[in-house]
Amino acid sequence: MTNAKIQKKSDREFSSGKFIRTWGTLLGFILLLLIFTVIRPDVFPSGRNLKNVVEQVATLAIVASGVTVVMVTGDFDLSVGAIASLVGIVTAMLMKAGVNTPLSILLALLLGTGAGLINGVLISYGGLSAFVGTLATMTAFSGIALLISGGTTIFGLPENFRFLGQGSLGIIPFSVLIMAAALFSVYILLEQTIYGRRLYAIGGNSEASYFSGINTKKVRLLAFGISGFFAAIGGIVLTSRLYSAHPQAGSPFMLNAAAAVFLGMTAFREGEANLLGTLLGVLIMGVMGNGLNIMGINTYVQSILTGIIIILAVLISSLAKKKKV
Amino acid sequence: MLNMDVLKIINLGKSYPGVQALKDVNLSFQKGEIHGLIGENGAGKSTLIKILAGVVSSDVGEVYIGGSKAEIKSSKDASRAGLCFIHQELNLVEYFNVMENIFLGHEYPLKCGPFIDWKVLKRKAEEILDKLQVKIPLNIPVSYLSAVEKAMVAIARGFAVSGKIYFMDEPATALTDIEKEKLFTVIKILKNQGKTVVYVSHNLDDVLRITDRITVMRDGTVVECRPTGEMTRNSVITSMIGRNLESAFPNKNATPGQIVFKANSIKNNNIHNVSMEVHAGEILGIGGLVGSGRTELLELVFGITSLKEGQMFLNEEKYLPTSPEAAIERGVVLVPEERRKQGLVLSRSIYENISLMSLNHLATAGFLDHRKLKRKTEEAGRNVRLKTSNYSNHTGTLSGGNQQKVVFAKTVLNPPRLLLLDEPSKGVDVGARFEIYSIIQELAARGTAIIVVSSDFNEILGLADKILFIKEGEPTFIIENSNLDQERYLNYCYGREK
Repeated sequence: MTNAKIQKKSDREFSSGKFIRTWGTLLGFILLLLIFTVIRPDVFPSGRNLKNVVEQVATLAIVASGVTVVMVTGDFDLSVGAIASLVGIVTAMLMKAGVNTPLSILLALLLGTGAGLINGVLISYGGLSAFVGTLATMTAFSGIALLISGGTTIFGLPENFRFLGQGSLGIIPFSVLIMAAALFSVYILLEQTIYGRRLYAIGGNSEASYFSGINTKKVRLLAFGISGFFAAIGGIVLTSRLYSAHPQAGSPFMLNAAAAVFLGMTAFREGEANLLGTLLGVLIMGVMGNGLNIMGINTYVQSILTGIIIILAVLISSLAKKKKV
Repeated sequence: MLNMDVLKIINLGKSYPGVQALKDVNLSFQKGEIHGLIGENGAGKSTLIKILAGVVSSDVGEVYIGGSKAEIKSSKDASRAGLCFIHQELNLVEYFNVMENIFLGHEYPLKCGPFIDWKVLKRKAEEILDKLQVKIPLNIPVSYLSAVEKAMVAIARGFAVSGKIYFMDEPATALTDIEKEKLFTVIKILKNQGKTVVYVSHNLDDVLRITDRITVMRDGTVVECRPTGEMTRNSVITSMIGRNLESAFPNKNATPGQIVFKANSIKNNNIHNVSMEVHAGEILGIGGLVGSGRTELLELVFGITSLKEGQMFLNEEKYLPTSPEAAIERGVVLVPEERRKQGLVLSRSIYENISLMSLNHLATAGFLDHRKLKRKTEEAGRNVRLKTSNYSNHTGTLSGGNQQKVVFAKTVLNPPRLLLLDEPSKGVDVGARFEIYSIIQELAARGTAIIVVSSDFNEILGLADKILFIKEGEPTFIIENSNLDQERYLNYCYGREK
């Protein structure tokens, strides 16, 4: 009898904890929107500003969707920022050397994917930890970007390259469409394919996945390739948006993408990287930046606040988990 | 007499949801005795030890240590009361060196405030290893040690503090005969110093040899507690099993068909010249002691380790798997020994676990067919009589028996040609065991060839059609499973014919 009572009680605790874990971050995001709306009702909720926010986060969302794939397996990718920068520089240099725009973009995408696959080979076949492996390649890739560009910004790109980052279809910015396509394809990949199931299985228990006939090394290798591919798209769109290539333009992606995925791990699913969560994480970071800008708060303070938000989100969700060890 | 009881347990009881793990346990350990504690898997030995170690709490009952009532709520309470535990699982920190591991979890000797006194630490570690008569360098990381040396370090850790009662849970499984003798010598020394040693083991020969008294547990209760001199191997086994062997196992109704799997003197580092044949619907048991190469043999057939010499055939075609992936593609599946570590992704749903091995059959062009996946998964779950209200629940929320059914459901969904079972009922309670055995017999009846490895000889005797005995990786006997009793079985395990 007492057993049944205990069971029931823990069920109830479980469900209230579960509610916070599942929806807490989304509620926090809505709260954030409300706060900024109340403080600046004239500016923040306007259609133009919100469009601005989405446009600003588009490149981050593209890169972060690739990073989500890697983080589903429990790995980590620090090199996406460097890959994005390198890809931007290479695209610009190819176009300046007279290669036509579509071909330059294609080659740059191959470069980014290849860079990601190098990470994958080092980590899943070479046995490096994801942290050390991508930290090393990040350093090397940014060195290459600085070396071949001579450390300076490349201007004077062809006019037809502007469209990716600055053009729009009707009222929708083209970069936002690319973002939507990236998010959608990664969502399908994770939720609807065999490959997605294998990624999640490896993230949960790599050894059991191996015993279940999954080629864990190949799956992890491909995940890094995918991450590199999306980092490359992000780098190209960013270069087009800035209409110039800088050898360190992509470096903020490194931490922001990881932060967005971490924020997303606190939402919808318990402690697992998931694409909807990543999208929410990206939006939280975008809205924070935009709202604080509108309020005239300086960027240094913004960084501090962003850090605090991430700590709070993860803390609340892990407290709700009540893990003993 | 009462004064002699260094530890006394009165009416101890513990239940988990659906299982009465311990019921009315009354037991006492005396000063200066070596006390054997035996019973089948799931008999309640581990639960009892966990309660005494402060890892789980009892529902009812009292524990008296040295005549006064003891409240053991944590491992600290246990060690303060003089209880030391030497576990079968080696919880060593691989990167720490030997002396750090010996003192891990104990209080380090200090000097000048918070600084560790390495000299004293080293001297104490040396003393302990001297007592065990083993020579292991103190300064090298444990990861460089052999399995035997690691086991000795784990045992040494139990001696780092001086206790009144030492609980040893299968301490000798990883040891060679020579190391085992050293351990037994140390146990005798402890006894002579007036300490108590509680020795838990499945190896009845060891228990009968070194203990003064034996307690037999079955289904959560103490069924017998007598001086070792009054017991024989057979009487111990009878009281351990306590029931008719046949009734614990379902009837066979498979008729062996064609040869499915054949190995011709296969060899690698652990396996030497093993040959065997398994027919469709036949169950081949692998007999042998722990460490005899049983698991290694399954790993070789499943493609985890690779073949050095010899040939394997599957349905008369050459079979040379290079990975589990390749083995599964050919229809060879392993139910691994470590369910939680190797068999299941506990953080994922039951759907995902059951389907994990067969995703290729549940998708078109890489995209999952969710309807088919749901139907096939639930069908497999029903076939193994899985008890769950919701297949979307995390697999980790299921009981041990149900988790093992999920592992079997993975194989049932797409029945293999050859099924390899490593300890198929490990950690499964008595009730669910019969159901697991039924699933195995049903798979055999559907024409699957099965190879089963188990430390539980009853399981081999109850399931197998024939038994291949191996010792140190080499085959010794192949015997039809008829008129075999436990004693003959164990003799074959030791490589001798009676």
